[in-house]
Amino acid sequence: MQIVINALVLGSVYVLISIGLTLIYGILRILHIAHAGIYTLGAFLGLTFYALTGNFWLALILSMVLTGIAGVGVYSYIYRRVLSKERIVPLVISIGLFIAMQDLYRLIWGAYKKPFALDLGINDIKGKGFVITQHQILILSLTGISLILLYLLMNKTKLGKAMKACADDLVMAGALGINVERVVSFAFFLGSALAALAGVLIGVYENNVYPTMGDEVSYKAFVVIVLGGFGSLSGAVVAGFILSFAETLLVAWKGFLLPRDAIAFLVMILVLMFKPEGLFRRAST
Amino acid sequence: MRRLLAVLLVVAVSLAMAGVIKIGLFVPLSGIGADDGESALHGAMLAVKYVNDHGGVLGKKLELVYYDDQTDPKQSVSLAYKLVQKDGVVAVVSGSYSGPTRAAAGIYQRLKTPMVSAYAVHPDITKAGEYIFRVGTLATVQGRAGAHLAVEKLKAKRIALLVMDNDFGVSLANAFKAEAKKLGAEIVFEEKFAVGEKDFRTILEKVKKLDPDVIYATGYYFNASKIVTQAKELGIYQTIIGQEGYDSPLFIELSKNHAANGTVITTDLDRDSERPVVQWFMKEYEKEFGRPADMVAASAFDAVMILAKAIEIAGSTSKSAIKDALYKVSGIDSVTGFKHFTKDREAVREVVCQVIVGDRFHRFWVIDDPEIVTPGK
Repeated sequence: MQIVINALVLGSVYVLISIGLTLIYGILRILHIAHAGIYTLGAFLGLTFYALTGNFWLALILSMVLTGIAGVGVYSYIYRRVLSKERIVPLVISIGLFIAMQDLYRLIWGAYKKPFALDLGINDIKGKGFVITQHQILILSLTGISLILLYLLMNKTKLGKAMKACADDLVMAGALGINVERVVSFAFFLGSALAALAGVLIGVYENNVYPTMGDEVSYKAFVVIVLGGFGSLSGAVVAGFILSFAETLLVAWKGFLLPRDAIAFLVMILVLMFKPEGLFRRAST
Repeated sequence: MRRLLAVLLVVAVSLAMAGVIKIGLFVPLSGIGADDGESALHGAMLAVKYVNDHGGVLGKKLELVYYDDQTDPKQSVSLAYKLVQKDGVVAVVSGSYSGPTRAAAGIYQRLKTPMVSAYAVHPDITKAGEYIFRVGTLATVQGRAGAHLAVEKLKAKRIALLVMDNDFGVSLANAFKAEAKKLGAEIVFEEKFAVGEKDFRTILEKVKKLDPDVIYATGYYFNASKIVTQAKELGIYQTIIGQEGYDSPLFIELSKNHAANGTVITTDLDRDSERPVVQWFMKEYEKEFGRPADMVAASAFDAVMILAKAIEIAGSTSKSAIKDALYKVSGIDSVTGFKHFTKDREAVREVVCQVIVGDRFHRFWVIDDPEIVTPGK
């Protein structure tokens, strides 16, 4: 039981981060490594606003909005200029941007790890042989709400359908009168805001915010989108949970036989060997 | 005319230089070790201030030349050449981790420049040669002291081990295990974890079922804070024993629900010490840098203090004279209670055990038995 809870919490965070990456990869075919830097920005902004206002929910929303805007900025000032170049160009830019962001955060917020102490005033749920802490409740419920909203957005609104159309064929979508610019910007906004949510949640959960917190995320999220089939949203969601359950179960069964990160990549290699298109290929591609 | 100018320039430069003695420092100021690097730099800067306020060395002022090694062995090696050949430092302090320090140690030995490692623990560092010294407590000594703390002081018979899987964690755990067995305790559980591990719940569940008397967990403050937090969450109330890696105010801050309280660690920094230099250091550090000092800062402080003393004993800035003098340094104003170096260039000091009570470190026990605290025994 405890294992399932742990895996769900871990998977929730993987999923939140991967959604942005998947959206962006799905539409622009860019591997947005700097997304991990965006995630860190979200955590820092959340912490800063929480320290300033003392209101966690306000801080969370401010952080999501501002980080979302930063994400749009990354698209319109950087990626948009190189979209016509070979795909290696945006990739290299993305990696460079990620490193620059980490150092920028260090200069602004300092090198020391910062605690993110938050007491929501809810009690931990204690049952026989398991415990769900208040922060785990927070993560599970916010992820659940986000996923439901995302599902509604993608399937019930015009904007969602426009995003899907752009992911299918960007040029064609433009030709059919969809404002591609606006759709892509929105995808960056949405993805970045969700990354900020993930950053704040992880900051609270680990009680720890620091400039290089995106390192691990940068490659874990990559594994998730490969597993999920490059650009499939539902695939990314399922893959995030598969990864977290694989990691947690293996640790429970065998102990720390391998570092977690090794497990993630092992799973990825196996999938690529036997199912190179990922577990959940998008029907249309 | 041009030659004359050049000569004048050289004279001017050497006149300007005459007033200072340069000490080099390499620290990680970016990359994963950036926070420890900043602490080490601040500690060293404070020591230079302390020495200069007390009249300097050989009538000259100390000057610190420092560079960022990015926690990268390649960088620390090229910085070694830079510090010695370009900046002309007379001795060097490593404020970096074991990896970069170990790589640079061989270079300093070859360049015959004394190097004092502040807090890097890998046993091989000092084996680089006669010019390489260590202020920090060797892992074997600290592990041994931890075993005495567990078995003698805390009366543990059954011990669970959580081992961080790197040089630091493994060498501590091995020393601990050997000594604990010798003292008659039983290791009922042992598990390794990666440095970046964040979720110990699954492992702690297993530990809980075994119901050991204490848990000895090697780690740094950032994973240790997770171990104590998650242990409390799961209702594990046995004492957790840590080491100097825990020794940072951040260990307490990053633990949730005050879970750090009750943890006992072996370390070099005795915050309750009455010695004036410790009190001055703790107060001045917080005033100057806006945060409480940690073990890393204290070790870097001492490394500079030891070098200053060695230069004074040597009576010159000749590198080989400083090296010889380092073997003789004792009775200095040291924050970590440094006594002297052994012939293998390892530090001898009392090992301080601190307990966390009311979210602060306090003195718990002091181990000064030479059989335990002398490296190489």
